[in-house]
Amino acid sequence: MTDTPRVTRPLIADTPAPLARIGDRAISRAAFLADAQALAARLPQAGAAFNLCQDRYHFAVAFAAILLRGQINLLPPNRGSTTLAEIASQYPDAPALVDGPDAEIAVPVLRVSARGEAGEATGPMPEIPADQTAILAFSSGSTGTPTVHARSWDALHAVTRQALECFELVDGSGPTLVGTVPPQHMYGLESTLLYALLGNAALLAGRPFYPGDVRAALTECAPAILVTTPFHLNACLRAGLEWPTPERILCATAPLDPETAGQAERVFGCRLDEIYGCTEAGAIATRRTTRESDWTAYPGVQLHRNDDGLACAQGPQHPEAVPLPDHIEVRDSRHFRMEGRLTDQLNIAGKRASLADLNRRLNAIPGVLDGVFIPPDTDKVAHGVNRLAALVVAPNRGEAEIQAALAECMDPLFLPRPLVRVEHLPRSATGKLPRQVLLDLLAYHAQCA
Amino acid sequence: MPSQTAFEQEVARLIVDSLNLEDVAPEEIEPEDALFREGLGLDSIDALELALAISRAYGVQIRSDDENNREIFASLRALSAHIEANRATS
Repeated sequence: MTDTPRVTRPLIADTPAPLARIGDRAISRAAFLADAQALAARLPQAGAAFNLCQDRYHFAVAFAAILLRGQINLLPPNRGSTTLAEIASQYPDAPALVDGPDAEIAVPVLRVSARGEAGEATGPMPEIPADQTAILAFSSGSTGTPTVHARSWDALHAVTRQALECFELVDGSGPTLVGTVPPQHMYGLESTLLYALLGNAALLAGRPFYPGDVRAALTECAPAILVTTPFHLNACLRAGLEWPTPERILCATAPLDPETAGQAERVFGCRLDEIYGCTEAGAIATRRTTRESDWTAYPGVQLHRNDDGLACAQGPQHPEAVPLPDHIEVRDSRHFRMEGRLTDQLNIAGKRASLADLNRRLNAIPGVLDGVFIPPDTDKVAHGVNRLAALVVAPNRGEAEIQAALAECMDPLFLPRPLVRVEHLPRSATGKLPRQVLLDLLAYHAQCA
Repeated sequence: MPSQTAFEQEVARLIVDSLNLEDVAPEEIEPEDALFREGLGLDSIDALELALAISRAYGVQIRSDDENNREIFASLRALSAHIEANRATS
């Protein structure tokens, strides 16, 4: 048997752009690497580690340190204590890398406070084995049980190379990525952290949230690329501010309508590109929404319909073809139209969850005899965000107790508003809960309130 | 029980209207109670919506890198005081 050398990929691309910006300081690639190596030396022996850092620079340092130690970044779907405990039970030796007030985690905590001030690493850029599992992204699966999505370092490299080519980030001006999205989710990870690690771009450590923050960040970080969501983009457009011109806007997590895209291109004075992705396949396609409604696959990604009629994507980042969780019309191997999400998947302000999973978690609360989440009307165009409602049968539990239990296992965006306690659910003879009957019951209780 | 000042009444109305809090009456918001999580149970999306409404109504831009951000949204009283201190004088 001959020893074939293990294929590796660099941890960081050797590009001219700094790796990050913290406030008005640029952090070089060598300074970032020094931070990552110092943290890697502090990590305990383990197979994996939770990366819960909220500051994007801390997250990046933790991400790189975990890879340098041959470990896996665990990325939970939310920070609820029940959620973390579930994942921790499968990775009992995994510590949690944190930078905020995460007091209630029942796993050993390691605090990350690196600020690019540990000097500059010398020597060659480290290489990471291509087949090393870099991340495990957890999502609430449509079957009602959490599912895990693994990505090798090679797969992350592949999707990032494709995107860098599409968005002119291989050479270019070395812009700063101003992200309103958190780095823990696939879109934020790919388009803020990985573009900076592997392309000619810098990540902004902070996460601008209010329109005033976004405007200040774009002004201070020029040239900048705004990495955002339809939800945040709408908020920026509604704020009625004067905007500096970024190089480009990237938008994902939910389809953007062409009118909003057109308004954004006019108000910001730059092009807007949408990215299509899903937890199952990662980012696979893009479109300039003002010019085309069909999506174009990333270079190297192909689409086809499988024997079950499902649209599937396959690129170098996919060991096998991945069925896409949406209604998709395949035009040809590189183009498709998305007709809508499959119904079980909820999207509230860009965060996704499975309705089946939320219902399972509601019904798992002690004292809840029966309960159901009711998705908002998607065609009811109100300003802001439509929330879920819930009807719950729990004679011995108060609303606040139920809300508190839900908050431990789901993102706050999915907490029901209102949560109405009822004597029983209006189940049909077959046990089903017709949507209209649920809406009527909600309306009835709203009148009585 | 501390009662709302006239300006707090105005901001309470803005909160209820901008967030579509159908089951909350503006006058029921306790001036010193927490607005977020406990209390009214609001979250970050509400904060953004509320910031937009405050910007439109009073010309005050909320910024998250403001060191006092947590305190600004701590209660109806704190929020009203912040708006009054920073509103565009007309």
